[in-house]
Amino acid sequence: MRWQPISRDLIWVELLRLGAGVAFVVVGVAIGWALSGHWLFGLGLAVVLLLTALRAISIVRAVRAWGYAEREDDLLVRHGLLVRRLSIVPYARMQFVDVSAGPLERAFDLATVQLHTAAAASDARVPGLRPAEASRLRDRLTALGEDRAEGL
Amino acid sequence: MTGPGPQGPYPGPGPHPGTGPHPGVPPYPGPWPYPGPGPHPGSGPHPGSGPYPPAAPHGGPPWAPGPYPSAPQPGAPWPPGPYPPPGPYARPGPHPGGEPEEPRQRLHPLSPALHGAKSLVVVIAGLSWSTLSRVGFGWFAAMVVVLALGATVLSVISWYNTGYHVVGRELRVYEGLLWRRTRAIPLERLQAVEVVRPLLAQLTGLAELRLEVVGGGKTEAPLAYLSVADAAALRARLLALAGRAGQPGGAVAPAGAAGGPEAVPTGQEAARTAMPAGRPLHAVRNEDLLVSQLLTPQAFLLPFGVAFVVVQFLSEDSWSFIAVASTLTAMAGVVLQPVRRVLDDWNFRLARDESTLRVRNGLLETRAQTVPLHRVQTVRATWPLLWRMKGWLRLRLEVAGYSVGESDERNRPDRLLPVGDLPTAEMIVGEVLPGVALAALPLTPPPPRARWLHPLGRGALGAGLHERVVAVRSGLLTRQLTVVPYARIQSVRVVQGPVQRRLGLATVHVDTAGGAGAAAEDRDLAEAWALAAELTARTHTARRTA
Repeated sequence: MRWQPISRDLIWVELLRLGAGVAFVVVGVAIGWALSGHWLFGLGLAVVLLLTALRAISIVRAVRAWGYAEREDDLLVRHGLLVRRLSIVPYARMQFVDVSAGPLERAFDLATVQLHTAAAASDARVPGLRPAEASRLRDRLTALGEDRAEGL
Repeated sequence: MTGPGPQGPYPGPGPHPGTGPHPGVPPYPGPWPYPGPGPHPGSGPHPGSGPYPPAAPHGGPPWAPGPYPSAPQPGAPWPPGPYPPPGPYARPGPHPGGEPEEPRQRLHPLSPALHGAKSLVVVIAGLSWSTLSRVGFGWFAAMVVVLALGATVLSVISWYNTGYHVVGRELRVYEGLLWRRTRAIPLERLQAVEVVRPLLAQLTGLAELRLEVVGGGKTEAPLAYLSVADAAALRARLLALAGRAGQPGGAVAPAGAAGGPEAVPTGQEAARTAMPAGRPLHAVRNEDLLVSQLLTPQAFLLPFGVAFVVVQFLSEDSWSFIAVASTLTAMAGVVLQPVRRVLDDWNFRLARDESTLRVRNGLLETRAQTVPLHRVQTVRATWPLLWRMKGWLRLRLEVAGYSVGESDERNRPDRLLPVGDLPTAEMIVGEVLPGVALAALPLTPPPPRARWLHPLGRGALGAGLHERVVAVRSGLLTRQLTVVPYARIQSVRVVQGPVQRRLGLATVHVDTAGGAGAAAEDRDLAEAWALAAELTARTHTARRTA
């Protein structure tokens, strides 16, 4: 079985998302510091930047850890570093497949494939795929799913 | 170990190497066989589905207002003749709807009155005690009457615009005045049908029909109200259609959803006290039900709550009648739960015929539920702490189509046995899942090092694979045993938290449609991989051999 990695470009997408959120906070804290001059704001700024650096490192590692594998009868998706998860979804139980791409993802030419089963708890999401690969995966999944559909 | 999932494919104890085995650029050699998003078989809209309205349109109605003729409808883009069957259910053969479309039927003419009476309760609750104290009784009564009248007028209008009929293998329900909705409910997806009779409906000889459909967030299409005979006849008809529809699809169990029209009686349904049709399995004694609900924390706390209110009332002058009434109303929600359970589960009767379970229960509101056996996703046995001295347990089942977050849990047909001893439970479980015995399931506890996570409750945890089901036990005080047939598993997940990784443990989740599924907590990591592989393999084979 071959674990397929996802595109490293997802790192940039995630970092940009993180950056946008952090920039918002940093600007707020910086304004507070400039207006009041209290040292606690400086401390807060340092903490935020430190946490951002840690989060950035974990994003890089998390994206590298994300992987999926297509087996004969099921799709395997693994992700997570602190809490490690492996999902095994039989093609036969698939209800439908979602392919989505947000504006940021589109800018980096990426797409997300999500497999839905009848169970809400099923968690088979593969982000960071090239559009060609995403549509290939979707086609394969739907073909296999129709082949073996067993539903509920 | 069977199937293509032996130990080998699993990455073993260290499944997440930070740097994957494929460094750098993904090794995709050139363009794939499917470059770009072209037309894909299956993923797009089905070719046959064109002329049909969407399942639940909120937008502009394709239906002209007013009573429908059965002849060609103005504005409707399809002829009434033998049109192609709807896309997702397309199969060759003559369409059952080939004959002229049957006329739309209205609900029972008394329904608006019942809806109005029901809204009276809502209105009073909405106005609340504080309004009563502020405006005085006369004004309060006037407000109630005006609002209730308004509600009744609205329900008369909505009754006039509501209708249903069966078209082919679909039940179509029309409703709404301003926002018209046409719901087409494919009967292949029917999970369960129940006939509910609230107190008012019992007094007027009416009943409500509820359909449970896969994928519906809530109970679809409650047809409220029909006369009892109509409800029973419609139920029989829908179940028969669903049963016939299930067979050629091949996806559903070959037994079909129901035996056929003759399996459902229409005459006896009118008699309130009649046993459900089919072979009676069990009847819960009402005394046992009463005792079991007295053995709940709420019943034990009730005297303290009442004493608190009385003491407050006597000691402080500031506590007016209104304040006491409000407190009591607030308490009622929690404290009256056992009372509600008693009322709900009164006269609990369980029966089965060939392929369905029939449940009938309720004192003020009787309900008759029909659950196809092959739609049962999970069976859960619970031993509450206080019941253990009696050796009692409770059995529940989960059926797909009922959302987990449904606000009114009474609407879920999950009762299999409100209270009973182990032999009774074994008998019922044996009927629902043949060959499964609760006491004889091969459960093994997690390894001893799991005590760091469960200092007291490690012994209560357990998981094991039976011939047909996976069983999971948990809970120190309230013990729970969850049984999931392999054929109903939707997906398998292995999750390992940071502490678990330090201890070399992992949790295996088994997801089912509708409901929480089961989780084998804190298994040894190697065992967890093996368990997941074995579960996946058995999931594949379970359906094929069935």
